[in-house]
Amino acid sequence: MPATQLSTDFHKTMKLDNVNTSLQEEIKLECGVDIELCMECGKCSGGCSNAHIFDFTPRKVVQLVKIGDEETLLKMDALSTCVSCHLCVDRCPSQIDIPRIIDYLREKAHKQGIEPTRKNVQLFNKLMLDYVQKNGRVAETHLMVRFNFKTGQYFKDAEMGRKMFFKGKLKPFPSKVKRIEQVRLLFRDVPARREG
Amino acid sequence: MSNRTKTALIIGGGPAGLEAAIKIGQAGYSVTLVEKEPVLGGTLRKLCSSFPRWENPQELIDFKLQQLDQLPVVRVMTDTVVNAAERRGDSFLVTLQGKEGSNQVDVDAVIIATGFELFDASVYGEYGYGTYPNVLNSLEFEEKLKEWTAAGDKPEALQTVAFFKCVGSRDRSKGYPYCSKICCMYAAKQAGLVKDLFPDSKCYVFYMDYRAAGKEYEEFVRSVIEQKHVRYVRGRPAKVIPEEGRLLIRAEDTLMGIPIEVTADVVVLANAIIPSSGTKEMAELFGIKTGKYGFLDSDSKSPLQAGDRVFFAGACGFAVESLGAQYQGAAAAAEVVALFNQAD
Amino acid sequence: MSVAYFPGCSLHGMASEYDRSARLVCRHLGIELKEIEDWSCCGATAAHSLDHLLAVSLSARNLAIAEQMNLNQVTAPCAGCYNRLKTASYEIRNSEAIAAEVEKIIGAPAPVYSEVTNMVQLIIENVGIEAVAEKVRKPLSNMKVACYYGCLLTRPAKVTGFDDPEQPESLDRLMQSLGLETVNWSHKAECCGGGFAASETSIVVDLGGQVLEAARQAGAEAVVVACPMCQTNLDTRQEAIEKVRGVKYSLPIIYFTQLLGLAFGYSVSQLGLNKLLTSPLTLLKAKGLI
Repeated sequence: MPATQLSTDFHKTMKLDNVNTSLQEEIKLECGVDIELCMECGKCSGGCSNAHIFDFTPRKVVQLVKIGDEETLLKMDALSTCVSCHLCVDRCPSQIDIPRIIDYLREKAHKQGIEPTRKNVQLFNKLMLDYVQKNGRVAETHLMVRFNFKTGQYFKDAEMGRKMFFKGKLKPFPSKVKRIEQVRLLFRDVPARREG
Repeated sequence: MSNRTKTALIIGGGPAGLEAAIKIGQAGYSVTLVEKEPVLGGTLRKLCSSFPRWENPQELIDFKLQQLDQLPVVRVMTDTVVNAAERRGDSFLVTLQGKEGSNQVDVDAVIIATGFELFDASVYGEYGYGTYPNVLNSLEFEEKLKEWTAAGDKPEALQTVAFFKCVGSRDRSKGYPYCSKICCMYAAKQAGLVKDLFPDSKCYVFYMDYRAAGKEYEEFVRSVIEQKHVRYVRGRPAKVIPEEGRLLIRAEDTLMGIPIEVTADVVVLANAIIPSSGTKEMAELFGIKTGKYGFLDSDSKSPLQAGDRVFFAGACGFAVESLGAQYQGAAAAAEVVALFNQAD
Repeated sequence: MSVAYFPGCSLHGMASEYDRSARLVCRHLGIELKEIEDWSCCGATAAHSLDHLLAVSLSARNLAIAEQMNLNQVTAPCAGCYNRLKTASYEIRNSEAIAAEVEKIIGAPAPVYSEVTNMVQLIIENVGIEAVAEKVRKPLSNMKVACYYGCLLTRPAKVTGFDDPEQPESLDRLMQSLGLETVNWSHKAECCGGGFAASETSIVVDLGGQVLEAARQAGAEAVVVACPMCQTNLDTRQEAIEKVRGVKYSLPIIYFTQLLGLAFGYSVSQLGLNKLLTSPLTLLKAKGLI
């Protein structure tokens, strides 16, 4: 797991007097997610698809929001590895939408230009959105090849690609949106359109 | 006012109903005690042991039945349900349906003591209740404990038992945000019994916190942990996965903040206590209020009074242990006796 | 009955057999699929991870076109697309502020009338299990399958409002109507690793492996899916999973529409059953189904 630079030193006494609740309020306002409903039971984290590779389990993410440790939240590895499977929210006794919080933090980290712990995840997402912005649609094969080249993994999925080629699963000429200007307009005010 | 002896109808023959019947009978009024099951004792009858003193509940029931036997004013009708009720001034005309047909009785007061049911945990797909045979609710497990204790022939391969508390309770997404109050205690009791029966087994109780507010309750839970070596794990389990004939449990150890896994032979769910279906029916028949979750509610005149001449006792009002049910049965009896005394 | 059809990028790419079989089966069942004209990508995981409004707008554009085509019912065979379209619809309906923003961004009225359904739901709700059973020409008997719903068909429950998020039953009932036996298992709605196939392949190998292992232990001979991401992850990474876990699974990962089509009498090539990497043909032959 890539190390996360913690802004809070978890080995020292945390001064509750210094905790501010603005992040908690911001998340309530912007995402409609009220973390005061959290009962601290940990059910979110026990069933989380990726908790075993997270630096902070979903319950800890909620707790970090409570103590207002935005810096840790924006840098944590869980932002890269949350798979958005929504197991946590549907099992939560209070239906706290943790994936919505994660997406909100991802967006915020991205806008602030904070480097994600797993650059490949963000690179993949950006390359994908580039395709959408350019063609309106994604050509999976092209995306995969481009991703593997950008990350220097020239032969990563070569064997799989060969098999898929023989199954006729790879399309050399991907389809495109005709009125592409409509799609490009959607990206107008979006920082994500910046080249990865 | 009629000259006949005043009669109380008691619906439900568990610890609350039994206590009420005995007390009213001892005060000299006549009682009709109806029980839908073929025998008296209610849920208590199904239990293997009690907390906080590890007593055999059957001994208490037997003692209560002996008391009843000495009270000819109490008429016990098992296999009987209340079908209809009509208020007639200060009395009710009630239709009782037994196996051999129905009959009508005039009664001057009613105590509803219809007990509780367990919430159906099959709505938690993640736990697999109803799908995986070794995921049991607490009453089903109690039955097993009773069998193993009585017959002495117990399964050999029982290595690990896991208890999940708050299944349904304290879960607003499932509609039951309240604490069911008795689960912390009976889960400790059941885990302790497992350790008595299978000293080499491992027992895990998954908890959010344990609530032991009662005389000798805290000491009881501590003794289960300290003397019987039941392991308490803080975290609400998230998933049960069948694996090679056993059950893999996934949870977070919320004290460590890390995901944990443990394999068990049996998973016991401490389901939310909800009002029995009979409670709802009786509330409708007698025109009394139920609260948000279907438990009977006080009319604010007296804690156990639900309406004019209608009282309640035990778990139909809210989750309660058998001792509390007995207290309430006695208290409801006092209400009825006071009412009858006034009228005479 | 006409329904707006959103194939999505995968069905135009690696999952063309899903597209083909979905169209065949719907036509067979009397559902006229009208492809959303000039549809664009739903935004997938990438958009919602980077920009909430972009994600909603990308999906909303497609719903708005469907509404312009006078089609309020929209279906997407891809569970990922379904989830994004459904989420957009939910957000627009539940927040006037978002609806207003989206209207500005897409330059069209916010698509508040769209009813987004996944394809399992479309068939069950608009045709019905019994009617499907009546169309079966070749019962798929003596075969045990694990129906795998993944994350995106049922979750989050408040958005999808479809089936149970933990132990869904609809796809099982649909498959049972074809004569298939479906297994009770623990991983119906666990995650396969979703969009991490390329960027963090080890996650897919780990999570997908757990799904395959649970299916094997439940006694399944094949896994039935309604999502091209699930299919691709479990199929194309199966070899890697087998290597890591040291278990030979050889579990074909079949689209539910392919099995519907097979029971209705369509051929292997019509349904693209020959396009799956872990070939189902040996199994289907052994069962006397092809």
